[in-house]
Amino acid sequence: MRPSKISGFVALLAVVAAWELVARAGLVNPLLFPAMSKILASFLALLASGEIPAQIARSMERAAAGYFLAATVCIPLGVAMGLSERVYRALEVVVETLRPVPPPVVIPVAMLFLGIGDGMKIFVIFFSCAWPILLNTIDGVRNIDGLLVDTARTFGLARGRTILKVVLPAAAPQIMTGLRISLSITLILVVISEMIGSTDGIGYFILNAQRRLKVDQMYAGMIALALLGYILNQAFLFVSKRLLRGR
Amino acid sequence: MRADRRFNLAGLGVFAALLLLWELYSRAGGVESYLPPPSAALKALTEPNVARALFGHLAGTLGRFLGGYLLAAALAVAAGVVLGYSRFAYSVSEVIIELLRPMPSVAIIPVAILCLGIGDAMMIAVTIYAAAWPILLNTIDGVRNLDRTLVDTGRTFGLGRVKILWQVALPAAAPYIATGLRVSLPIALILVTTSEMVAGVNGLGFFILDEERSLRPANMYAGIVVVALLGYALNRLFVAVEARALAWKRGLQAKGEA
Repeated sequence: MRPSKISGFVALLAVVAAWELVARAGLVNPLLFPAMSKILASFLALLASGEIPAQIARSMERAAAGYFLAATVCIPLGVAMGLSERVYRALEVVVETLRPVPPPVVIPVAMLFLGIGDGMKIFVIFFSCAWPILLNTIDGVRNIDGLLVDTARTFGLARGRTILKVVLPAAAPQIMTGLRISLSITLILVVISEMIGSTDGIGYFILNAQRRLKVDQMYAGMIALALLGYILNQAFLFVSKRLLRGR
Repeated sequence: MRADRRFNLAGLGVFAALLLLWELYSRAGGVESYLPPPSAALKALTEPNVARALFGHLAGTLGRFLGGYLLAAALAVAAGVVLGYSRFAYSVSEVIIELLRPMPSVAIIPVAILCLGIGDAMMIAVTIYAAAWPILLNTIDGVRNLDRTLVDTGRTFGLGRVKILWQVALPAAAPYIATGLRVSLPIALILVTTSEMVAGVNGLGFFILDEERSLRPANMYAGIVVVALLGYALNRLFVAVEARALAWKRGLQAKGEA
């Protein structure tokens, strides 16, 4: 381990220990800051009882549906808009009008149409993830070396095969950038939509724990969420390294 | 890109056609409760009492946005310069940063409600928390990638540590800081509107959710138009300010390349 990492972990331990001591000494309101040991015990208990895994599973179902829906719609659309100036210009005004809408305000609209079920959350995640994927795909396709496409044509590749074999691989790094940005947005929006209109999921769990003043459970939920974010990011890096290998 | 970009007839045509389709569909009836025609939303926008209410909510949202965003910028740039410049400070805080960063920032809202109650302080605090991350990380990057020659030159000319930070490190890291500020802008707006929805008594986020619950969808859409315009205007403003603030840099680079 690097020495800088060690001092980092020492600092982390110091923060945790200071929290524990300050909370035990009664220097802070225990209602707001319960002792760290109590939070961790609560986290482990919720993990063992299956409560946290169940809530995370609900959130992940919604997140995955919205995320993959956005990818399946926006990558082909982005390729079309990146390849054809005509398609791009036809859709430009619609895209530029919808893009500045802050995603959370789409939640009330989605609630009108879809109620407070999974459909609402999936739509909201789809809406917010769509932009980074779409814009990065357009950019990636536009920046492809024209020579590559011409070469493919010279060798008699049909349009569909050119897109699959030449355009998509060449634009892949930038598409991955869009997918990566969208991944963290997905997590934010699933939590927001569960806070505003839901009866389960990790976002609901955290807000509800706060409202019932089960503060240790609230912090336990936040620990679970941080772990989830970390794991998802690492998983994404792993997959994208494999997909982009040889580049 | 072509020269006739300014006026996009096809794009405007598609946009108008979609609006027209929406107008006709919802006029055909049966969907008023969730999809009023766009003309009804526009009409709501021009009604004096709705417009007055919207203006008040807009002012509330804008105030919280500016408070949170500007404070986040000041705090995160200051912290980022220190963490980027001092190896010790960075190694001490690295693990804590890596632990906090992957947590979706909105999860901090319940904690903020507990500690600060319901009000502007809570909303500004969560906005600062969320908007600070991209600025902090980019500032650290910018200062760490600083050309050592610049610092050494400054030292040769007898500049003290503080002056080097102010007059050398900060300007050199400016493009990175600008990137962080650009990424943070929509994040700050997301956090302001979200906290207004979860625990607000005014602001555009509150208004939009409240009109939805009161079954006045035309007003809700009017609110969304206003918040989209706000997002658009803030982005344009940012691009304009950034172009002016970093103009010296571009001139320098152009000269360097020539």
